[in-house]
Amino acid sequence: MAKVTLNHVWKRYGKIEAVIDLSAECKDREFFCLLGPSGCGKSSTLRMIAGLEEISEGEILIGDTVVNKVEPKDRDIAMVFESYALYPHKTVYANMAFPLRVGKRSYTNSEIKDRVHKAAKILEISEFLDRYPKQLSGGQRQRVAIGRAIVREPLVFLMDEPISHLDAKLRTHMRGELKHLQKVLNHTMIYVTHDQLEAMSMADRIAIMNLGILQQLGTPDEIFNQPVNQFVAGFVGDPPMNFIDCTLEASGDNWQLTNDSFKISMSPELIAKFKGKNGDLSSGPMEVVLGVRPENFIITNEKGNEESFPGEVYVTEPLGEDMIVDVTIPKNKLKLKTSVDLDIRMGDKVWLEAMKNKIHLFNRKTQQAYF
Amino acid sequence: MARTELVSKAAKRKRAFWRTLMYIAIAAFFLWTTLPLLIMALSSIKELRDAFQIPEVGDWAGALKMIQFSPTFHHYTDLFTKEHFEHYILNSVIASGSASISAVSLGSLAAYGLARGKIPGEQHLSFWILSTRMAPVVAVMVPLYSIFTGLGLLEPSRWRNLLGLILAYTTFDLPFAVWFMRSFFEDIPVELEEAAKVDGCSNLKAFRKIILPLAMPGIVAALILCLIFSWNDFIFASIFGQQAAKTLPVATSELHSTVSIEWGGILASGTLLVVPMLFLGLLVKKYLVQGMTMGAVRQ
Repeated sequence: MAKVTLNHVWKRYGKIEAVIDLSAECKDREFFCLLGPSGCGKSSTLRMIAGLEEISEGEILIGDTVVNKVEPKDRDIAMVFESYALYPHKTVYANMAFPLRVGKRSYTNSEIKDRVHKAAKILEISEFLDRYPKQLSGGQRQRVAIGRAIVREPLVFLMDEPISHLDAKLRTHMRGELKHLQKVLNHTMIYVTHDQLEAMSMADRIAIMNLGILQQLGTPDEIFNQPVNQFVAGFVGDPPMNFIDCTLEASGDNWQLTNDSFKISMSPELIAKFKGKNGDLSSGPMEVVLGVRPENFIITNEKGNEESFPGEVYVTEPLGEDMIVDVTIPKNKLKLKTSVDLDIRMGDKVWLEAMKNKIHLFNRKTQQAYF
Repeated sequence: MARTELVSKAAKRKRAFWRTLMYIAIAAFFLWTTLPLLIMALSSIKELRDAFQIPEVGDWAGALKMIQFSPTFHHYTDLFTKEHFEHYILNSVIASGSASISAVSLGSLAAYGLARGKIPGEQHLSFWILSTRMAPVVAVMVPLYSIFTGLGLLEPSRWRNLLGLILAYTTFDLPFAVWFMRSFFEDIPVELEEAAKVDGCSNLKAFRKIILPLAMPGIVAALILCLIFSWNDFIFASIFGQQAAKTLPVATSELHSTVSIEWGGILASGTLLVVPMLFLGLLVKKYLVQGMTMGAVRQ
């Protein structure tokens, strides 16, 4: 068990910069998620921590040791691969015993047996120990791969999209299992995924990356409720946040967000937040982007108040309890999440109102968030 | 419904026709390739007068006489008692065995390196390796002869000549072994190796414990094919083997002298040459099939 520290880490493949000046720390015993779209550099980062890729610049520490020049075998890590990477010529038992047999620490045969059986019991694969990987289903293979990692007590667990190949139902199940396992084992875990749901539901903290750059590092709550920029805001949440271009203008103390469809006045609180982030309207109106999550709209059949604005229902997608409603307003199509009980159909005219305490505002040029 | 049945019946008939044609072609090819071997093997255990009894054209009953004879093994015993073929067999075994083993051991390392593709100019390097096999054997004979003379490998000494043969065979087996095994290594996902390293293996240990066992079918197949190549070789052996390290094919050819043709001995030693390779051929098939199903490694 140890913390993992990345100090100004770069990864270059020729001219391509896969990871750019990444600094982050995964605390001891933390479930740390690297989240981002494919090609964002999260896997490269994990592979550098594992020692499978060279670090182009910067340094990585496991515990207090700089590991840049340390071979993977000497880093005391365990890794679960996306493809599971089970040894096809070995039985499940031999696969799980392998790290104990070849690792630095030597174990007696009875110790190996105990550890493998214990891990197999935790993962409910005791009955498959004599089988070969090709005789197992995807879910079983995945558990063997995890088993191979947990037979040891490494400093850090590294997981590279370990459940992305499972079917949806099994994936949901394994999410819970993995989180439980991490808490039971009480080990440091670095988990790479492109699935925001996995990251949000399992991680203690999430590092969101895009184009090789760390966008935001924070708890799932911070990431969701205080995204630092439009990318983070749009990447997390399902359906994603709605972005509406509008203009922010001030006439005295009355600040308003306007666009072809609506006029929303800003509360003193929001103005303070805006100013706190160096927002300045002294040189006239400003082009901004309003961000509203699908669940943060109030949808009614009649005009509710001054700030309600009209739209037309484009399509409805009932999901059992919730319903996703696509509403078109001039220049934009919005996704809303409401209760399925709401009686609206395609083509209906509806009135929308954004919950003002939940809205986000971004600089249209820099895409950075004011609040 | 009726119409589709009609169509499928016609299609079935067509498929049956082609299938039959294919079987006929295969049968013809089978006879064409195996009959000479069968006749050779049968004749090698016949007295010469039985062996040369050829039935008239159209005399089908006479054809039966081909398998009516009292077997004798004296051609074989003669080979060992009179001609000392045990030496030649041993020479063949040593030369082809050592050459195949060295070609495959060196080749597997090279093939693995090329398969992992981290070498700059790897494409050109692979092509160069292959290109060494493009020239006919005779083209390199003169330069090799001069090199071997310089190295003293053509002095009349059994071990020197054998070493020369081993070198020559290795030179020619190596490019083949590299290209053949490379595809086997390429089929092994690199993650397996990475997993082994994370699990605590050094590079070499990961190669030995994970990669090598998985590539074993390919390695064994390459070994057998190299063995067959060098075992069957005549031209190198006749030139570099000299008199001191005569191999089986060369010794067989010498049974045909200006004074007489030892048909019995030729047939017997021909059979001795073919039979072990036949079994190795069957073995290689098994390993090749195993190698092809290794695709299952890609989970």
